[in-house]
Amino acid sequence: MGNRFTRAMVGLAAALVLSSVAMAQTDQSQAKQGNEARSQWKYYPTDRAVGDGGPAPRRDLTGTWAGPGSGAAVPKGTNAQTPTAPPLTPMGQQLYAMNKPIGKYSPAGTNDPHSRYCDPFGFPQNMTNEIRGMTITTLPNRTFILIQYMNVWREIWTDGRALPTDVASGKDGLDPRYNGYSVGHWDDDYTFVVDTTGLDDSTWATKNGYPHSIDAHVQERYHRDAKNDLTLTITMDDPKLYTKPFFLGEEHFRWIPKQQLDDFTCIPSQVQQYLKEMGDPAGFDPNAPPQRR
Amino acid sequence: MKMKVLMLVVSIAGLLAISSSAIAHHGAAAYDMSKPIVLKDAVITQFAWINPHPLIKADSKNEKGNVQHWTMEMGSTPASQLIGWTRNTLKPGDVVTLYVWQAKSGLTVGRFNKVVFADGKVMRDTQTGADNGGRADTEVGR
Repeated sequence: MGNRFTRAMVGLAAALVLSSVAMAQTDQSQAKQGNEARSQWKYYPTDRAVGDGGPAPRRDLTGTWAGPGSGAAVPKGTNAQTPTAPPLTPMGQQLYAMNKPIGKYSPAGTNDPHSRYCDPFGFPQNMTNEIRGMTITTLPNRTFILIQYMNVWREIWTDGRALPTDVASGKDGLDPRYNGYSVGHWDDDYTFVVDTTGLDDSTWATKNGYPHSIDAHVQERYHRDAKNDLTLTITMDDPKLYTKPFFLGEEHFRWIPKQQLDDFTCIPSQVQQYLKEMGDPAGFDPNAPPQRR
Repeated sequence: MKMKVLMLVVSIAGLLAISSSAIAHHGAAAYDMSKPIVLKDAVITQFAWINPHPLIKADSKNEKGNVQHWTMEMGSTPASQLIGWTRNTLKPGDVVTLYVWQAKSGLTVGRFNKVVFADGKVMRDTQTGADNGGRADTEVGR
């Protein structure tokens, strides 16, 4: 009887221990599954910063920001995708007439070097077209803007130097660059101003085909409205091609809580596949002869 | 429950944000948006999860019984992921019903509208996925 009772108690104790171990394993498993479902490496566009997050920090834009088209509930901006230009000069009209943007001509008819070959947007278009996300970081003498789309980085000097005046001038002049030459300064504690010139003129200033010259002077004003909110306005002064300064748009950015960006880029081989199998057969060019049906 | 409603509202807002830029990418001028072509018992031959737009390729018999090879584009990968698409949503050999806005060129290419799976589940395009060709995430027309 005593042995039977002892065996029963041992069995009960063992069952309790085993069940508690099993419960612990289940909890760990559920926790693990939960972690797997929300990877810290993945960008979740539905993860949003809540509210404005409080006052903006002084002289600080550092961090990772969701931009237009990111799916992160970013307030709608103005003008940036397809801005309307001021009157063009005769040279500006000539250059503009050569460009066939994809929004009007579709993939089969456009000569947009990015849409057909993944050529760089160049600045300023890379701050208005596909600007779904970016990271801003600083060194003591520079600020960097790391653009998600196409993995582009821009270098903005903050050491007080002046913009170059000899880009593409004479045999010793500086070469124009896709992102030009940039300097930055704080206009006030919450507004960082970037001035850029020396832009490679093979790129388009805007998605809808407006050109720019090498000597275009582009000014960006980054105003941190609050901890979670950033507003960018861009204006281009290019008197060779435009009779007045060209307002390229206003865009809004929101703080990304996990600071994780997605991966999205233009891949030449994939674009060639897309054009061959889809874009070109689909066709559409308003200046082309009637298409067969 | 409140949290679910909030998430839904936030998701829709996000979709609207991403949609506004995506629709401006290529536009729908190349496609006949008056009525989608219906490809019943279409067999998926490839699902290319590529940029700028994923491609769905499928074989489908026309009314004469001849097999036609179709290619259709859908919303960009980041936009499509927002409404549940992944690179594995469609697999070669899947038999589905596809709705597609055919290109005005008359070739068997077009803009994807929606897919109906064998179990009745429906998945739509981000931009032209509504039955009237508008966005799938809202009832707003195109």
